[in-house]
Parts: sequence; C-alpha cells; structure tokens
Amino acid sequence: MEDNKTSKESIKILNRRSFIIIFISVFFSLFVILRLFSLQIINSKFYKKKSIENKVSVKAIPPLRGDIFDNNNNLIAGSTSSYEFVIFKNLNKKFIDELNSLNSILSLDLNLPKMINEINKKNPYVPYKISKAGWDQIVKFEKNKFLFTAIKIQESKKRYYPHKNMSQILGYTGSSSLSSELYPKGVFHIEKTFENILKGKPGKIFNEVNSQGRIIREISIQEPIKGNNLHLTINLKMQDFAQSLLPLTNKGSIVVLNCQDGSILSMNSNPTFNSQAFEDRDNLVIERILSDNSKPLINRAFSGFYPPGSVFKPIPALLGLQKNLINENTEVICKGHSTLKDRNYYCWKKGGHGRVNLKKAIKESCDVYFYELAKKTNIDELSQLATSLGLNQKYDIGLSNPQQGLVPNKKWKKAYLDQGWYLGETLITCIGQGFNLTSPLQLATLYSALINGGKYPKPRIHNDENVSYLGDAFEKKYHDLILESLNAAVLEPSGTAFKLNNLHPNFVKIGGKTGTSQVIRIKEEDREDDLYKSKEVEDRFKDHSVFVGYVPFDKPKYVASVIIENGGSGSAVAAPIAHKALNFAYNLNV
Amino acid sequence: MFKEFRSLMDINWIFFFLLLVIFWIGEINLYSAANGNFEPWAYNQLKRFLLFLPIFLFILMLQPRFIFNVTEIILITTVIGLIITLFFGYTGMGAKRWIRIGGFNLQMSEFAKIALVLFMAKYFHKLNAEKTIGLLRSILPLIISLIVFILVAIQPDLGTAVIILTLGLIAIFYAGINLIYPILSLIILGISSPFLWTLLKPYQQNRVMIFLNPDLDPLGKGYHIIQSKIAIGSGGMRGNGFLGGSQSSLDFLPEKETDFVFAIFSEQFGFTGSMVILGLFLFLFLIPIFKSFFLTQVFNKLILFVLSFKIFFEFLINISMTIGLVPVVGVALPFMSYGGSSLLSNMIICALLINIMSISEKKRMFS
Repeated sequence: MEDNKTSKESIKILNRRSFIIIFISVFFSLFVILRLFSLQIINSKFYKKKSIENKVSVKAIPPLRGDIFDNNNNLIAGSTSSYEFVIFKNLNKKFIDELNSLNSILSLDLNLPKMINEINKKNPYVPYKISKAGWDQIVKFEKNKFLFTAIKIQESKKRYYPHKNMSQILGYTGSSSLSSELYPKGVFHIEKTFENILKGKPGKIFNEVNSQGRIIREISIQEPIKGNNLHLTINLKMQDFAQSLLPLTNKGSIVVLNCQDGSILSMNSNPTFNSQAFEDRDNLVIERILSDNSKPLINRAFSGFYPPGSVFKPIPALLGLQKNLINENTEVICKGHSTLKDRNYYCWKKGGHGRVNLKKAIKESCDVYFYELAKKTNIDELSQLATSLGLNQKYDIGLSNPQQGLVPNKKWKKAYLDQGWYLGETLITCIGQGFNLTSPLQLATLYSALINGGKYPKPRIHNDENVSYLGDAFEKKYHDLILESLNAAVLEPSGTAFKLNNLHPNFVKIGGKTGTSQVIRIKEEDREDDLYKSKEVEDRFKDHSVFVGYVPFDKPKYVASVIIENGGSGSAVAAPIAHKALNFAYNLNV
Repeated sequence: MFKEFRSLMDINWIFFFLLLVIFWIGEINLYSAANGNFEPWAYNQLKRFLLFLPIFLFILMLQPRFIFNVTEIILITTVIGLIITLFFGYTGMGAKRWIRIGGFNLQMSEFAKIALVLFMAKYFHKLNAEKTIGLLRSILPLIISLIVFILVAIQPDLGTAVIILTLGLIAIFYAGINLIYPILSLIILGISSPFLWTLLKPYQQNRVMIFLNPDLDPLGKGYHIIQSKIAIGSGGMRGNGFLGGSQSSLDFLPEKETDFVFAIFSEQFGFTGSMVILGLFLFLFLIPIFKSFFLTQVFNKLILFVLSFKIFFEFLINISMTIGLVPVVGVALPFMSYGGSSLLSNMIICALLINIMSISEKKRMFS
C-alpha cells in the first residue's frame, strides 16, 4: 500500500471530470423535474380524473315502473318480484361442487360444463345467473342452505299483468338488445306509447372499487324514482264482459265508447294473447303467439279494417240533406235493384222495399234508395264529410301502429290506382262497400259524431288526457232526422234490428244500425239461386257481421261497435252482442 | 484493521443524519403503502436496518488501508458469488438473482457494484497516472466491468447489469481516460444503434415500444407505467395527504413497495414532496463529492465520487422509471424501496463514504 504523491495535473483532471458528471446528472435531474412538473402541475387535473375513474364504479339501480290502473282504480299492470339463483364465485373456491349439489337437489338439468366455462370468464365480483327460482325450489334450497355459500337467491322486479283481457291494450315490455339499455322498456301498445310516463328514473350507486373491481365501500347512493302511474279510461268489468261476448269461433272485435267525453271503456279483439307470457320470457308460448296465423297480437278493434257496410249509410244521407239532393219526404221506389248504364245494382231485399223515404231507407237499410241518391252525389264531398265525421283518420290514442283506413275520393284513386272515378263506384261506396275501409273504433267514433251533431269528443284511452273536440256541427233538423231513423231501425217493427226487442225484452232500449260487409262480389247467377245465402259458402267467404249502436236511445251515452268476421248478417250476429254490451255499459254507468 | 474508536466522533454527521432522514421517509412511505400498517413492509425493513447496523459500524471503523488491501479478494468473492447464483441460485420472477446465505436471500449483483468500484479505485490508484490515461491502461478495468456485466445480464437482470457497466465506465472516465475514447464510442454507438435494434429479441423490442407508448398495452406491460403516472399526476402540487392515495390503497399500483415506492410517495405529498426528496438525494450525492475535492489520493477520490454517484444514479433511474422517462428495468429506490440486498449494499456504500470522508489527509492516513 503506497501513499501516492498524486500529481497536481492528475487531481485537476479528476476534479474536472467530476464536474462534467455532476453537470450531466443535474441536467438529467432537470428533465425529471420538468417531467414531474408536467405530470403534477400542468396535467394534474387529467390524472386526478383518471384516478377517480379508476376507483369509482357507478352501478345503475333500475327504477320501478309506474303502475297502470283502469278507470275504477283497479290495478291492470304492476310490478312483482321474481327470484333467481345466482352464484358469486369469489365466495367459495369450490363453487363447482355447489353447482353440482344445486343441480342434483333441485333436479335443475343444467348444462354445467358450459356454465362453469362462462363463470370462469366472468368478473368474480359480479353475480352469475344460474336459473329462475320457483317457490318449491326456494324452499328446498333453504332447507339445504348449509351446503351453499357462493350460491344466493336474488330478487328482481318484473312486470305483472293480473288481467289477461287487457293484453291487447297494454302490450308488453321487453329488453332491448342495446347494451346501453339497462332494463326492460315498453315495446308494444300502452307500455310503449307511455314509456316516458311509466319508466321512472334509474338510481345510481357510486362504489369505491379496488383494482380487481371488488367493492370497498359505498360512496353515495341516488335512489331510483318510480315511474308515474297511468290511469286508463278502460273499465275492467266492461272489458272482461265484452271479451266474453265475442264468439270464440270467429275473429272479431268490440269497442265501447263513451260518446259524451270520448273515453274508451273497452276495446276487445278475438283471438287474443296474454302479455304475461312476454314478461315471463315463456319462449314456447311466445313462439306460438308469433306464429299463429290468426294473428292474436292484432287488436282488431283498433287495427282491423273492413268495409263498413250499411252502417255507413247515414253519411250519404246527411250529405244529401245538406246539399238539398233529398229532403225528409223524397221518395224512391225500390224494386230490388237500380240500374246504371245497363248494369244492375241490387238491394239486399230481393223483392224490394217499395216506396221508401229517408227514414225508411235507414231503418230498413234499403240499398236502392242510396243507389239513387249516389247517382247525384259528389264522391269528393262524401269523402270529406266522412272524414269530418271521424272516418278516414288516425286515432293516436296510445296503441301501436295507428292506421288511417279509407273513404275513397277521386284524388286517392288517381294516386293509388292511376284510374279515373266511375259513378258506379259512388253507388257501392254509398252503401259502405267498395274501397271503404274502417276500423271498429272509427265506426264507434262516427256514431259518436252523429249523436253529437257533428262536433264530437276525440276518442281517448289515457284518462288524464283532456277532452278535445273534432268535426263540425251540422244542422239540428238533420241531426234529429238521422237519430230518429237510427232509433227506428231497432225500435220499430220492420227495422233491421227490431228482433233485439224480442230477444232481450227487459234490456234497456238502444238505437243503432246493422251492417253486412261483403267479402266477395256476388255473381249475378248465384244471386238468382240464392246460393250465396246457403251454408255451402265457405266460412272465409261469408260476410262480416257489423253493428253500431248506442244507449240509451233517447239520450245516448255509450256507443258500441261490433264486428264479427265472416259472421253473416249484421242483425243476426253482431247486433245481439252489441245489445248485451250496451246494456252492460248502461247498468255500469261509470 | 480498525480505526481508533475516538474517530467515530469525527464522522460527517450531516451526511449521516441525511441518511437517517431518507431512511425514515422510506419507512413512513412503506407504512402508507400498507394502508397505514407497519406490517409487513415497514416493520421488516426496520428490522433489517437494525440488523445491518453492526455491519454498517464495522465498515465505518475499518482502516481504509485494510479496505485497500482486500479489494481483489472482495471482487473475486463476488464474482464467484455471481457464478454460484447462476448455477444454484434461487429463481424468482423468471430470473436467478438470489442465493441463500444464513436465512437471507442475497442478491449478489448489488454487492458486485461495490466490489467493482473498490477494484477500480485500487487499480487507478496504483496506476498513479500523471496525465490522462490511454486505451491500453483501461483495458483491464473494461474487461472486468464487462465480465461482471455479462454475469448479471444472463441472470437475466438487464437493469442491474446496465448500472454495473455504467459505474465501470464512469469510474474509467473519472480516472482520466483520454476524452477521445468516450466520444468515439458514443459516435460508434449512435451509428450502430439501428443494427443493435435488429439484434434485440422481439419481446425486447416490444418492451421498448411499450415504453415509448404505454397505451399500446394498457392492461399488460403498459399497465404499471400508466397507473404509476396516474398516481403521481393525481398528487398535484401538494399531494392527497398522508395515507390519502387511492391508487396505492386500492391496489391499482403494482409493485408499489419495491420499484414504484416513489409513486406512492408522490401521490401523497405531490410535487412539493417530490422536490424535497430530490433535494435530499442531491445533498447525499454532493456532500461526498465536495469532500473528494479536498482529497488527493485517487483511491479515496474515486470511491467517494463513483459510490455517491451510484446512489444518485439509481435514484434518478428509479424516478424516471415511475414517470415514464426510461423503461421499467427494475432498479430500486435507495433506502426507500422494500428489499434487503438493496438496503444492505446501500448501507455498506454509505459506511464506506462516511469512512473515507472522515479521512484527514493532513494526518497522512496512508503512512
């Protein structure tokens, strides 16, 4: 070990070198300081936000959907609890054993390998749904609870429809495939249309989570807000009764409308379905409903469009009066047919009605009277009047897919068929055939308009909706004449619906009009043979039976519109049904 | 072999207290890393510190001359240790870095740093150069540095190996190699770097790419650095307060007690705290160097300079790692990262620094 006499030069070099390295180190330190300054001062907000995003997880709490009530405060759509078995795999390492024992104890028939595979992929802190839990299964599970630590029963809310007959009005809810939709929403009819009223506001839980997503503590909670309740004008008793009136053998529908305020009391259609199947995710039943050729999802009272038949006749009558084409006393001789350009237009009564004035024409539903009137009628004016009386327009009352129907005019024919208008078409339009298409709800509204003298309350199903009026008032003398004629059709002998009085003599008296809407054009030779009336005619070519009536006849409050598809004549099938419905509504007097 | 006991009073107290302060901040930091628990890290680290204190005092009391005499033995022992590590080492995290001695897992590469510097100090002292040193006389230190570098690099522990090579080169540079050579090698390195890139294995290239842009792999290799930057950045000017760091307490920060302790500290104490730490380490770096200016013996000067540089260099590399300035290479933060070998080697280094700083050359220590 030598104590060197280090040369001064060498010491200088060493010291100089240390300065160089100190300089480089300090230079590098400055970089570090700048970087820290950039992270902690300049971009601090950005990283603070990132840090909060890291640790706070927000979970939505679905809100309770609003309930729906009928006009008598009966619950017709509510929420109920359903239960399911879920597994938290982080609670037990041997969770597969638990799955096996659940499967065997409850004999669930689970696809375990697939399920275990799915569970392994999932975040351990998020529960995995195993299956629905029925009451029996819950009881068995509770008895064997000592076996399970990872499997729990979880409650969730689902929609509940206590009355099957409301399905075609209420519709149903469903889950959206969008991942942003956290809970079911209305997808059909009332549930869809009033989604914004019913849906409520979801709550939020802000949780502090660690890096594995495990909840450390709850930071805050925003309670969900339940949706608002909805009150319908529908009456549960009326709806149930009206449904029972519809024959199961035929498709058909019935609407009962309060013509004083436009509220719809019932709106039934056959065949029907049960909304609950959609809420229960009962795929077998849903599949059956969707594939059914008779289309039970369609509410025929709202979405079924048919030629109205004779119930249309008051419209040309009113137009004739207004345009002075006829008056109260104008008479026509009905010999069973009317001729236009070598072509015969037949009355339903083979022998003819003889001398017919307006009242008799409506009461006995004489077609020839209206053929003669039609020869002087302008189709565009007829279409316009029909529209102002409630046909040919959409009623956006809250059911899905409202349709306009049709009362034809020249413009329409040009646009859709690219043809000019023929007078012969006016003839069949005036008796409610031809291009005419109306729904039972529109027909009920038409009679509401006639009863109210032209200015009538808009039909509605949402009870909180204000009453609003449509249409233009027409002269009182025409109003009286038309109502008198319609009353006579039921109350006076030889009226088309006079039979009702014998059928149910103690029912309250109604007024109304029968209709028979042809499905096929009757050939001349068949008409000679009366073949078209025989039972031989295939059911699907039989006439639709139509009746629109009101009660009480002298001071109408309720209108009922009935259509029975392929039911035959209006007086035989639809009229008695409407009579029962109107009598029920009258006694209900809501 | 030992100094007089009295000389214990002549030590550089400022340096010693600085050391204690940094260690104590490290302790508090480990306490907060465990969400306000002494267990497991702060307690274990303190236990180690107390256990190593006799070793610290032992080295403090050694005669520099004795150290001078045993440098070759120390170097050979550590090289043998490194070779044993390669064959019989304890494997952890995919590398053989540790050997078990008396219940401790020792990371020989930590001690190789000291051994190499001591060897260099003696070599250049004995060289007794008048002026700058040529290439020929630097060959032996260069070869020895490369041998140690390779032994560590194949463990594999590239981070430590690079630090060892850096220390070797710094020592040669400090000792006065002709400036032509370092400048020339930098130029050659610059030109050949594209070729070196193609020599790297794909996963190594990948690692560099992710270093340059951590968002390439936010949940994999980029995750550490992203979370670390969030922790540091969210600290802001003043930090979130003691025990107030959510990145650490909710386990978003991986390896928070070892390589990323600085992120934990900085999340709690912000830019202000970071600057305080930087200042403390800068003092720890500059005090021995300042002292070295007053010494004439190359052995003393080189030990003071290179070893104090070693601590500061590791400090800078570690911080730069956590803020994304350099790739994550596994370099501990001296006195603050949890770990025995790093603490022991840094305590030995500080004992050596204090020992040599207390030399008064007027007394002619080497006579």
